[in-house]
Amino acid sequence: MATPAKNPHGPQNEPDYLNVTKGLKSWLVTLDHKRIGVMYLVGIMIALVVGGAFALLLRTELWSPGKTIVAQDTYNQFFTLHGAVMVFLVIIPGIPAALGNIMMPIQLGAPDVAFPRLNLTSFYMWVAGALLLVGTIPFGGLDTGWTLYTPYSLESKTAVLVATSGVFRLGFSSIFTGLNFLVTIHKFRPQGMGWFQLPLNVWAMYATAIMQVLATPVLGITVLLLTVERFAHIGIFDPTLGGDPVLFQHFFWFYSHPAVYIMIIPGMGVASELITTFSHKPLFGYRFVAYSSVSLALLSFLVWGHHMFVSGQSRLANMVFSALTFTVGIPSAIKVFNWVATLYKGDIRLKTPMLYGLSFILLFTIGGLTGLFLAILSVDVHLHDTYFVVAHFHYVMMGSTLVAFLGGLHYWWPKFMGRMFNESVARACALGVFFGFNLTFLPQFVMGARGMPRRYWDYDPQFHIFHQLSTIGAFVLGISIFVSLVSLVASIKTGKIAPRNPWGGSSLEWQAPTPPPLYNFEKPPVLHELYNYDDLYEVEPDVWERRAPIETEHHRANELARAQGAVADHTGGATAKEHADAQIHARAEEVRAARDMMETSRGEPPVSTAVDAADAAKVAGAGENAPAEAAVKKAEDEEKKS
Amino acid sequence: MSTAHEAHDDEHGHADQGSPFIQHHYDDAQHQFDSGKLGIWLFLAQEVLFFSALFVAYILYRVHHPEIYSYAHKWLQVKYGAINTAVLIFSSLTAAWAVRAAQRNERKLLIACLAVTIGCACTFLVIKYIEYSHKVHEHILFGRYFDPCVSPGGSELLTKHNDCKGTKGTVEWSLDQAGEIDLLNGKATTGCFEQSKFDVDPQEEGLQAECHVFEVKRTRNAKGEWNETGRREITNRCPEETIGEGTGEMGAQPKSGEAEKKKGAAFPCWKAAIQPAVCVPVMVPGKASSPQFGVLVEYGDEEERGEDIAIDAKCDPSKPLAEPADIFADKAETERVGAKAIKPIHHLTTHEEHELESLGPPPAHTNMFFTIYFAMTGLHGVHVLFGVFVFIWLLIRAVKGQFNDRYFGPIDFAALYWHIVDLIWIFLFPLLYLIH
Repeated sequence: MATPAKNPHGPQNEPDYLNVTKGLKSWLVTLDHKRIGVMYLVGIMIALVVGGAFALLLRTELWSPGKTIVAQDTYNQFFTLHGAVMVFLVIIPGIPAALGNIMMPIQLGAPDVAFPRLNLTSFYMWVAGALLLVGTIPFGGLDTGWTLYTPYSLESKTAVLVATSGVFRLGFSSIFTGLNFLVTIHKFRPQGMGWFQLPLNVWAMYATAIMQVLATPVLGITVLLLTVERFAHIGIFDPTLGGDPVLFQHFFWFYSHPAVYIMIIPGMGVASELITTFSHKPLFGYRFVAYSSVSLALLSFLVWGHHMFVSGQSRLANMVFSALTFTVGIPSAIKVFNWVATLYKGDIRLKTPMLYGLSFILLFTIGGLTGLFLAILSVDVHLHDTYFVVAHFHYVMMGSTLVAFLGGLHYWWPKFMGRMFNESVARACALGVFFGFNLTFLPQFVMGARGMPRRYWDYDPQFHIFHQLSTIGAFVLGISIFVSLVSLVASIKTGKIAPRNPWGGSSLEWQAPTPPPLYNFEKPPVLHELYNYDDLYEVEPDVWERRAPIETEHHRANELARAQGAVADHTGGATAKEHADAQIHARAEEVRAARDMMETSRGEPPVSTAVDAADAAKVAGAGENAPAEAAVKKAEDEEKKS
Repeated sequence: MSTAHEAHDDEHGHADQGSPFIQHHYDDAQHQFDSGKLGIWLFLAQEVLFFSALFVAYILYRVHHPEIYSYAHKWLQVKYGAINTAVLIFSSLTAAWAVRAAQRNERKLLIACLAVTIGCACTFLVIKYIEYSHKVHEHILFGRYFDPCVSPGGSELLTKHNDCKGTKGTVEWSLDQAGEIDLLNGKATTGCFEQSKFDVDPQEEGLQAECHVFEVKRTRNAKGEWNETGRREITNRCPEETIGEGTGEMGAQPKSGEAEKKKGAAFPCWKAAIQPAVCVPVMVPGKASSPQFGVLVEYGDEEERGEDIAIDAKCDPSKPLAEPADIFADKAETERVGAKAIKPIHHLTTHEEHELESLGPPPAHTNMFFTIYFAMTGLHGVHVLFGVFVFIWLLIRAVKGQFNDRYFGPIDFAALYWHIVDLIWIFLFPLLYLIH
């Protein structure tokens, strides 16, 4: 056993996960969900800088009409790579694969995700996909737009094959993460944590994972067909061979519309956590927020056609998709109203994560409402493929998801890195992100409504001032994000040691040591009522504790678990005796159920181990009752010893 | 149990669980098994969605182009498909049996079941290989490479790129721009097939056409226009007798072409279409007042025959049919009337129509059927191949005796995977091989 950590907030009897093993190799082959999450985080931060650089380059090009710095072809590659890198490498994996990987199992009180090796596979799939996607640059770039629409993507001279093989791998990375999370959430909830005691971030991960598992395969087969089409000319999307290019759009959006929700729902989950924690008030309408996540996930499969209103869809299909698109507004509005209701009369602390959380509410509302404009068939004919669309989805993807990602990153950073970041720098950056973002994209709504088409290299002089404002905003935004990331990374060395619960959060991760040990908890976390802030108080600035010490409650939790006939919790806090008692009780319940010819046990609390043992032993047939007998024996031995 | 772990170590098991393969973060064997089971079901859901796009493509093209499917599926050999179906269903049985064998600690049975499953999977792949190699040989491929030598009914097809024995030529299957016919310049012959759907009764009086195909010698005059200098009939210049025997409804039969049919006849060769030459009048520019009848001919590449030879075709409505009664009375008379003599009115049954259809050239974009065929069966084949590797891995572990009644998860999960591979094939077989 390694020496105990010096950090008073870290694990006392074992090293934390950052120090449990040393060396680069121990990271590269790790199966620990936190380390995999941290590796994801590093990769995503790099991709964010790359994608951001492309954004700034293309905004610079648009500073003036005509050529500013690059020619048309290069500009096409800038917006394509900006879109592809940001969507596939940053926003889709951002919250689930990085923050979710690190925090979701801890929020469940679980020692790890269900399939650690699959988790690592998923990470390396991401790395391979990312390298291929960025690898298009030396192989001739990519100029199809991130949507890879046929037939142009079949003819483009750029490295479409490299890109599609990258996207295929990224898709499976996402599927594996989703599959892992679904099983983890189903099977690794501790005793006493029912579906409606799940933190909302976990609910959001659950809804996201459903979409990752059920929508991404369609992207996989689509880019696979596109890949084969590119080199073998099978003709399925190629009109010259009788194929149907619009079919590609259907397939693509059948994935990519749910993908938009894969991007936004985790952001909503993080925002829910931020808003309730920093208001120190239970989340208003918990069940509605949870249900709305899942209903958004389900609705997301039914609205893909609204991307294709002008692609020659039938009028009936257009009307159906338009109507269904409006229904998406309902769960979205439920969330926004509940967040605002949570803020009402809350004890609001404007810490950095909360600044991002409040930005999220505002920007998401703008992004969501402008989506309704685009869902109107007649209006969409005018706005389709204009900067209005660009501004709309940036408000959702970037203004909401990326802001939530930054908020969540600041929120959980002290937990998984064990250090506090520089609060004033981070707050300044949060404000910079908010104002820079709005300066970038509000003018784009105006431009779009006046008819400026998206993806154009040149523009009419009437749009000059809007493009300039937008470019200035983009630089403010880019610099703010970059500085905040640098400040976070610098805090690993310079930040002060973080307490267990710097923000007053109520979910389980704040009971884990900071940083957590390999299996997240030294002793089983205590399940309090979810989002109950009554007995949380700030003992000193940025250090929150529960009034009732955890140690005394630990005993109570085990009693509770026993009362439910439980086999103790995942982290094994119960003593061997408690384990054995619970096993005997469970066995006895089965026997009694069989005796009374009932299908399931009655779930009665144990009267005494003796009664249970007697009942459990009543089963005829040697061997079949072995576990119970062994447990009885073990319990007896235990008693003798004590 | 809770804390003292140096690292994740898969081999480090729970001593009390009876198997060294319980991973650390699970409570017990049951917990691990349940998690794995949910995981594999989600994976299978993912697989269904992965294949779903191809099924959607199948449905879409079938709704839009049913003629492609009814024509092209005849190229597939039901025999092979049926054997493969049986093989896969049997392997599903042995896979399920393997699970039971593991649960009952019957190691030898387990090994046998796994080995049979692997054997069946390999049999499937071998049969698939035979089918594929046949198609590659016959150019019955996807997209751009669809270039078959023979029709599903066995008649020879003259196509653009192939090097099938005895043929060399070009067929313009899509002739819907019949208005642009330029016989003299050899651009196209006539628009026959597009207009002559089988719902027009080939026996209907007056619609029958008698067609002749000519090779036209031509020279260019000073203005650059072509002048005809001579022509000769090449209606049936190919070595064989006729294509599809017994389809006496053909519009054109050789009249005096015995010499042409000798061995070593010159290539390229031309034939009048096998399809009954029932043509809707096509308005030829410049001859607006005189509607002509078209016939599809398969004609050689311009590069091969040289610029100074063009192909022309001329069709006339056939003469009125002999009275059916006469034909019944005297069979010899029927034969004497020759090609133009049409057998007594006989409405084709659906089956005969299909037979006839399968002798003709493929409808436009028949390649799309094989795009879908190869995409679906190819992806399915990759899954079978993956299954082989999985079962070999399980076989090795079974030989080592790693499975028992408390630890049989991997076999259960692999068997579930194998069932979905089987199930997808059970959908593919009728959808591709058995349709009409």
